[in-house]
Amino acid sequence: MRFLRTLLFPLVALTSLALARSSTGDTVLVLLEPSLKKENFSIFFGDLEKKGYKLTFRSPKDTTPEIIKDDVAQFAHVVVFAPETKTFAGDITPQTLVSLLSKKTNLLLALSPKQTPLSSLAAEFTLILPPPGTPLISHFPKRDTPATVVPVEPPRAHHIISDGLAPVWFSGVPQALGNSPMLVPLLQAPPQAFASDADSDSGADALVEAAEKSGEGLWAGSSLSLVTGFQALSNARATWVGGIEIFSDEYINKEISKGVKSGNRQFVKDVAAWTFQEANVLRIDTVEHHRVNETLPRETYTINNQVTYTAYISQYDPELDLWEPYSGINDLQLEFTMLDPHIRTSLPPVAGEPGKYSVSFRVPDRHGVFKFNVDYKRKGWSYLSSTTVVPIVPPRHDEYPRFLSAAWPYYAGAFSTSAAFLLFVALWLAGDEREPKKGKGSKAE
Amino acid sequence: MPLAYSLPSDLSPATVTNTSSLLRIIALALISGAAIASRLFAVVNFESIIHEFDPWFNYRATKVLAEKGFYAFWNWFDHTAWYPLGRVVGGTIYPGLMATSGVIYNVLHALNLPVDIRNICVLLAPGFSALTAWSTYMFTKELKDESAGLLAAAFIGIAPGYISRSVAGSYDNEAIAIFLLMFTFYSWIKALKTGSAFFGTLTALFYFYMVAAWGGYAFITNMIPLHALTLILMGRFSSRLYVAYSSWYAIGTLASMQVPFVGFQPVRTSEHMAALGVFGLLQIVAFAELVRAHVSSRQFQSILFGSVIVIGVLGVLAFAGLTYKGWIAPWTGRFYSLWDTGYAKKYIPIIASVSEHQPTAWPSFFMDLQFLIFLFPAGVILCFRELRDEHVFVIIYAVVASYFAGVMVRLMLTLTPVVCVAAAVAFSSLLDTYIDPVEPEVSEVAVPVTGGDSSAASPATVDGAVSSKKAKKAAAAVADASSTGIASGIVAAIGGQSKSPKARGIFGLDTRFLIVVNALGMLLFFVLHCTYVTSSAYSSPSVVLASQNPDGSQHIIDDFREAYYWLRQNTPQDAVVMSWWDYGYQIAGMADRPTLVDNNTWNNTHIATVGKAMSSPEEVAYPILRKHDVDYVLIIFGGLIGYSGDDINKFLWMVRIAQGVWPDEIQEPNYFTPKGEYRIDDAASPTMKNSLMYKMSYYRFAELFGGSQAVDRVRGQQVPKTGPTLDYLDEAFTSENWIVRIYQVKKEDLLGRDLKTANAFANGKKRKKSKPLARRKALA
Amino acid sequence: MLLLLPLLALLSIPFCLAAPSAESAHEQLVKLAAANNGLIKLDDNLYNLLTHPNRNWSASIHLTALDPRRRCAPCKEFDPSFTAVAKAWSQVPKPQRDNHFFATADFDDTMATFQRLGLQSAPVVHIHLPVEGDRRPASGRTAPIVYDFSNGFDAGPLAEQLSVYTPVPIPYKAPIDWAKYGTAVGVGLIILSGIRVFLPILRSRWAWAAGTVITSLVMTSGFMFVRIRGMPQSGANGQWIAPGYQNQFGQEVQVVSFIYGLLSAAFLMLTLVTPYQTQPYRQRAQIYLWSGVILVMFSVLISLFRVKNRGYPFKLLL
Repeated sequence: MRFLRTLLFPLVALTSLALARSSTGDTVLVLLEPSLKKENFSIFFGDLEKKGYKLTFRSPKDTTPEIIKDDVAQFAHVVVFAPETKTFAGDITPQTLVSLLSKKTNLLLALSPKQTPLSSLAAEFTLILPPPGTPLISHFPKRDTPATVVPVEPPRAHHIISDGLAPVWFSGVPQALGNSPMLVPLLQAPPQAFASDADSDSGADALVEAAEKSGEGLWAGSSLSLVTGFQALSNARATWVGGIEIFSDEYINKEISKGVKSGNRQFVKDVAAWTFQEANVLRIDTVEHHRVNETLPRETYTINNQVTYTAYISQYDPELDLWEPYSGINDLQLEFTMLDPHIRTSLPPVAGEPGKYSVSFRVPDRHGVFKFNVDYKRKGWSYLSSTTVVPIVPPRHDEYPRFLSAAWPYYAGAFSTSAAFLLFVALWLAGDEREPKKGKGSKAE
Repeated sequence: MPLAYSLPSDLSPATVTNTSSLLRIIALALISGAAIASRLFAVVNFESIIHEFDPWFNYRATKVLAEKGFYAFWNWFDHTAWYPLGRVVGGTIYPGLMATSGVIYNVLHALNLPVDIRNICVLLAPGFSALTAWSTYMFTKELKDESAGLLAAAFIGIAPGYISRSVAGSYDNEAIAIFLLMFTFYSWIKALKTGSAFFGTLTALFYFYMVAAWGGYAFITNMIPLHALTLILMGRFSSRLYVAYSSWYAIGTLASMQVPFVGFQPVRTSEHMAALGVFGLLQIVAFAELVRAHVSSRQFQSILFGSVIVIGVLGVLAFAGLTYKGWIAPWTGRFYSLWDTGYAKKYIPIIASVSEHQPTAWPSFFMDLQFLIFLFPAGVILCFRELRDEHVFVIIYAVVASYFAGVMVRLMLTLTPVVCVAAAVAFSSLLDTYIDPVEPEVSEVAVPVTGGDSSAASPATVDGAVSSKKAKKAAAAVADASSTGIASGIVAAIGGQSKSPKARGIFGLDTRFLIVVNALGMLLFFVLHCTYVTSSAYSSPSVVLASQNPDGSQHIIDDFREAYYWLRQNTPQDAVVMSWWDYGYQIAGMADRPTLVDNNTWNNTHIATVGKAMSSPEEVAYPILRKHDVDYVLIIFGGLIGYSGDDINKFLWMVRIAQGVWPDEIQEPNYFTPKGEYRIDDAASPTMKNSLMYKMSYYRFAELFGGSQAVDRVRGQQVPKTGPTLDYLDEAFTSENWIVRIYQVKKEDLLGRDLKTANAFANGKKRKKSKPLARRKALA
Repeated sequence: MLLLLPLLALLSIPFCLAAPSAESAHEQLVKLAAANNGLIKLDDNLYNLLTHPNRNWSASIHLTALDPRRRCAPCKEFDPSFTAVAKAWSQVPKPQRDNHFFATADFDDTMATFQRLGLQSAPVVHIHLPVEGDRRPASGRTAPIVYDFSNGFDAGPLAEQLSVYTPVPIPYKAPIDWAKYGTAVGVGLIILSGIRVFLPILRSRWAWAAGTVITSLVMTSGFMFVRIRGMPQSGANGQWIAPGYQNQFGQEVQVVSFIYGLLSAAFLMLTLVTPYQTQPYRQRAQIYLWSGVILVMFSVLISLFRVKNRGYPFKLLL
């Protein structure tokens, strides 16, 4: 039975994931510190290569191959497996790692209880690490492994981590989350776990007095995160893993309980898939806008026009390595903005046309430079934002109503006056001698 | 009758008239030439370029008109101005200027003369100055005679007061407005003299042109009624006045309402009510005259007179009531500030902040009009001497215009024509007197003298036999008349035209010679003065500055265009540029980028927003900038080469205007030192030092001086060694002489940090370790 | 400072502890305000009371130096209008009135406060917003707002601007200037009664001519500039020509307009009067005389102009 599974698993993997690759590229640089043997991570790296990634290994100390050449990122993804390295080569600093994100390069970083440049970098991602030398500890459930090696229940019904996984072996440092909305916790600590120094459990009383201060400074409980994703505004993704061992073959093969293998293998695969932008990747292909019952856009619209706005959204499919229309978003919103949103309406998917989201509305009665704004940010999904500027102009001189029924009195007045004038002139000219004379007499002096 | 010098006597009158008219034409042609030529200094010294600020917008609008046609221009919605509000151009400008040059452009192209629209715009003002000279000639001719007219034309042609607004390249409404002003007045006077409805209509048409061309048309709208009213009060009502005024008002008002920007103002606002009121009054008076002509009973006429007055008063009350009810809009701020001179500073700081709205000190009067300014009263007196209707007009014009010119520098423009006219009248009558060859015969018996002063009392004594006794007394009178001589002369002069001409005249040739030489000398001096002033003061297109090298050669400072073209070349087409409103039109015109505010200051709040952004600390300003999609901020900084018109000197106005809208966020006193000084050195107040404007101005300024002490050349103060730092902006461009500095607004941080900490991280600063946030609420 | 606080307290008001509660402070202030029709005279101690750290009232404090020894002219000028506004406020119905106080702190009574605030100049008006209660500003600002004197020292703008911070607008009405109206009416009556006398003047063109000419002379010599900018009659150290091109003193108006007048008079003489002189030698004398006048005055004018505008290259005679 068990033999069967061991036989089957790679097979399944082969068939299903053979063609899979990231939406941003398949070159990966792995910074592996010398103390760690590549062989210990053979399964993880093997799975990546099976997916079609080209792995390049480099020690954090040496300088080639360089990560950024001529301000161009050389790799699509960078894996930093250097949890203990104190000093990196010149081209790897926290600043360059952040700049990698702005160049749309994804990062997978592993931490350790040791104080390294990385742990100070984590602060920039609003991850709050416990003081050095305090890994995650849990005495429950009762087991033969040391207290620092903790079996963790992976999240259920999670849109990134595949469902029904066995618990995951973890050992390393937990992170308390700051209040940045860009954080995506992927693995939460078990409720009984806390951060403390491994050998003597002296951290416990520190915990107590921390708990006194309403949880201030308390590294404990399920609010801690062990594996944390972070999605930058550039849609590049960075994942912080509390300990390197979670990737190791040892933990992958380690049994949770009699005959139950740990969920590590699938878990790290999912994490890598999300981090390397295989999963949960969306994009706006095109947007169009035009007047109702017209087809082509105008460069300006007149106030009170009926306007239709359409956005086409598609999702990346790692299996087939292509983008296909995606209608799964139901809370998409459109804003029509000048300084403030004048109109904020929902942008629903059009039934029967996959990937098309459309809405029509009346342009406000206000001229100015307006913007169609779509801004969709959800944890774990790549951000969608699009801005289209369009001026709204007042009606042309000939677009106003020509003939006003309200103006009847004035029309009548004008015409009657001119008629009367003609009549008067006629009478004046036709009249006999005396009137004109008198008229002159009156006009004199 | 003796002659001082002999004249050729064998000329037929026809020849004389012909030659004189020929000479007149030649003279006018030469004057026009001089007027145009003296305005070309700007082109010769610099190049054919549009000047200053407003002209840049007019130029842009004209280009739209020339390229897209009139209707496109009419409906033009400029979405790059006042971003993101946009500006409905067609309805918010006086289209006369653009239309004029558009017509010229099309005509020339119809004649297959492919002239660039820019050159038309640049040379429009000089061209129209020639026309102004001509219309002034016509105007003055109506007042006195051709010779005075020629003098007036020559004066207005080169008077700096008018050149200041009409040099080549200052493509502004005033360029054509003065011609229209003078011609409207001319045809008004003509209409008044002849009582012809034709000239009345002509007045109306040019009035319409004026309305379409310049906001100053309100001057005409109130001058003509004032004139008419005065004439009525002087008991000079006549059917001529009636015809002229009625035809002008009816047609002119209807026509002026066709300009979209004016619309219904002529019947809804106080500026136009005077015209309407006088129109009504005229009808009443005319009716009264009619009745009087028919009825002749004494008391009825008195009743009539009374009723006229009553009706007039009632009319005034009606206007007051309507204004009170709000049917008639009260005076707009710009006009009201002419009467209540403190008004603008208190309530509309934007208007008060404009330099050309400041009051005028006497040197600038003299600068602009030189010796005309003291000939002007003499001319007015002469107008009083023979007080025909047109002279009344000039007198009113003189008083009103000199008041306005005193209140606002820019209204010097409306004063200049009347000064030229009056001065010309005075000057030419002087020359008439002294060139006229006729000499009065010396009467050994001084009867004419006694006649001179006694005639005022009783003309009877002049003729009629004179006894020797009387003669003796007369001689005695003459003997001591040395003192009374002048008095008698004045009396005679006042008696004016009633005197017989042969009694007045000049003896001898030397006197004539002296006066004429004196006069010519003054004219020559005037020409020198005008040339000097024009070339030195009024011919620099504030876009390009000039300075003197040590060796005296001219050094061109071209930072503005350098910066604007940098924007044009290096920024995306839709990059929004924020600057203080003075530079809005130039950015739109030269850099072709959207601007937040520009020189057409119609939205105080929007300007105040910019003022607030400039005068607040970075972190307060940043949300404002982001909200308005600002990509670049442009400031003017003169501290390096001592260009005094820079933004730090205008800064207090920004603060004031912002304070008007956000009184508890921005406060002017905070920008002064506790001692109440306006400083930018170490002693500057913290609010000042943190303000965005200060930071942008002095960012990295100290580094420029190496180790030595940095000095601001304009303020003459020492700039702190350690300059300000910027977290939310990046320096994008700084022009050669640092006059223009452009900053780019940073985007939000990649990791969602606030830009201050992001900056600190980028500079490798360690952030202190933080603790997990309290998840549970404390029980307290 | 802290030491002599209680001492001050003792001799200032019977019941005032060093740091009393907001309530007691409030009712005490109400009493004081009522006592001295709406205006509280401050000493250091009362100042701290009025700017209580947790006050639920707002206050406008007028810091000034009225003692003649301080020689603060603006203080004297401004004081009455502030008092007037405070008085106007005391008319407001009690519930609103007690939420805003007007107080005057004279330098000689509150030196310590002045030192603490680091004030070099007076008068200053501080507006303290409430720290607690529903009227406390959204910005949570506790630092005083400084009144901006750009509108001058009049009570009108003061009341207008303070009304922004008071619970209800200050019901300030400018007192009616009876004297002005009286004089106006009087002048009107005189004119009406003397219409017979004035009529010939009104009718005579030369009266009008004089008026016109004088007006335009005065205007063209920068009268309005002096009036609008409020320039002094002459400079500080007795100089009567203001340096600078766009600048002038009141005295220059008279001088310049006199020169203009003299010049144009000379021209008029030459044009109108001398021709009627029938004695050749006398006429010649006049002509030479007036020409001389013109030449001299013109050169004087030019030299005057050169003083104002240094760059001016031309000159006549002198």
